[in-house]
Amino acid sequence: MLKKTFKIPDMTCTNCAMKIEALEDDLDGVKEINASYHKLEMVIEYDESKLSDEQIIAAIKKKGYTATPA
Amino acid sequence: MSKKQNKPSVDPVIIVMLGVIFLAIAIAMIVFPADTNSINIASDSGVISQLMVAFVTGITTGGLSCLAVQGGLLASSLAHQIEQDYAGQIGQKKSKQPAPRTNSAFPISLFLVAKLVAYTLLGALLGWVGSYLTFSPMTRALLMIAIGIFMIGNALRMFNVHPIFRYFSIEPPKFITRYIRRTAKGTETFTPLFLGALTVFIPCGVTQAMMATALGTGSALMGAALMFAFTLGTSPVFFVVAYLATELGAKLEKFFMRFVAVAVLILGFVTLDSGLNLMGSPLSLQNLTRNMFPSQSESNPIADSPQPAADGELILNVQNGGYFPATLKAPADKDLTLNLVTDKTYSCARDFVIPALNYYELLPDTGTVQVTIPAQKAGSTLFFTCSMGMYTGQIVFEN
Repeated sequence: MLKKTFKIPDMTCTNCAMKIEALEDDLDGVKEINASYHKLEMVIEYDESKLSDEQIIAAIKKKGYTATPA
Repeated sequence: MSKKQNKPSVDPVIIVMLGVIFLAIAIAMIVFPADTNSINIASDSGVISQLMVAFVTGITTGGLSCLAVQGGLLASSLAHQIEQDYAGQIGQKKSKQPAPRTNSAFPISLFLVAKLVAYTLLGALLGWVGSYLTFSPMTRALLMIAIGIFMIGNALRMFNVHPIFRYFSIEPPKFITRYIRRTAKGTETFTPLFLGALTVFIPCGVTQAMMATALGTGSALMGAALMFAFTLGTSPVFFVVAYLATELGAKLEKFFMRFVAVAVLILGFVTLDSGLNLMGSPLSLQNLTRNMFPSQSESNPIADSPQPAADGELILNVQNGGYFPATLKAPADKDLTLNLVTDKTYSCARDFVIPALNYYELLPDTGTVQVTIPAQKAGSTLFFTCSMGMYTGQIVFEN
């Protein structure tokens, strides 16, 4: 399991963090996501053999946000 | 799944115009709450006007603010597909989209009814808790100032003025958001009801401010009524916008947020000013402008009528529209008697407060109450206000 932080500068409220955390259920290989609107970032714990950074960034983009590795 | 035939288009200008009208009503009710004579209400108009303000706050800023926080939750409670469409609209303009749901009004209604019940119960609970806390006018003033700062901070957060303002938004605990999110995946009738009730755990900024106000009422009934009026006010806007949510997209959502930010900023300053009034601060807008433009009150024919009598008695008419005269002149270094005269006065002007003397009295709707004012130095000013900080006045002491 790998733990990584992504900056998501276009979150506008706490609901954005909730939407991003919903990837926990949508993405295979994710153990946990903690998104913070206060910090404009998310910490994701995932299985790197099942998921890549690009896939995570693409999934976040599909939710309407931009993610970059911190 | 069929193709969508007619995509409803909502002109942002129309929506903003409606919003401006609602906001104008809200501001008018806050700034000119006095005209209760035009409404034939036998009961306490102060309570009625407070509930009306809560309702109008809900229908203007509350609905849009709740939409920002809870809109996605409602959309996902209707059908998981909606949320996907909602988030995926950008960049998929020409892709096939699902047909509009023909019966989404029913689950939205269920959601809103559950939300209404839940917030009413929450209001009762907050009011009940508040009843065990003794709120002096000064405590209430500090509470109102805190609420005002909270609202202003939230507005500045929405304007993205500085990262520090993001901390004015309260992030719900992770276990709650996870539980709500996973419950939202269901599609049964029970789900919208349940999720509507769960929205009490993710209140928006305006709702949080209203919750603090409910706490300040110190009454379970009043707290419940206040939250009921506010949540009822949020419902129409919430319903319409939630219904169209899948059609509006993220661009218009940002547009809404700016409108909400302006409204919250204005209401925040109004609340802050009321708190300063209740504290007896000369720095409140009303007290500052009264001193800067004394001719305003002097030009009022009613305001000039009662002047201090030679025997040291002052007369202040407490009317539904406020205190007349708004400025009383009194001799310095002499004990005085202030006669508070009410005549069918039902507004919150009855809840009379002199902050500097720590004096608070609920006046009879008709009658006279005497207050002893201890000797004050020449050049000093004693501010008085209603318990909501809406109506104000002052006694100026001269040689």
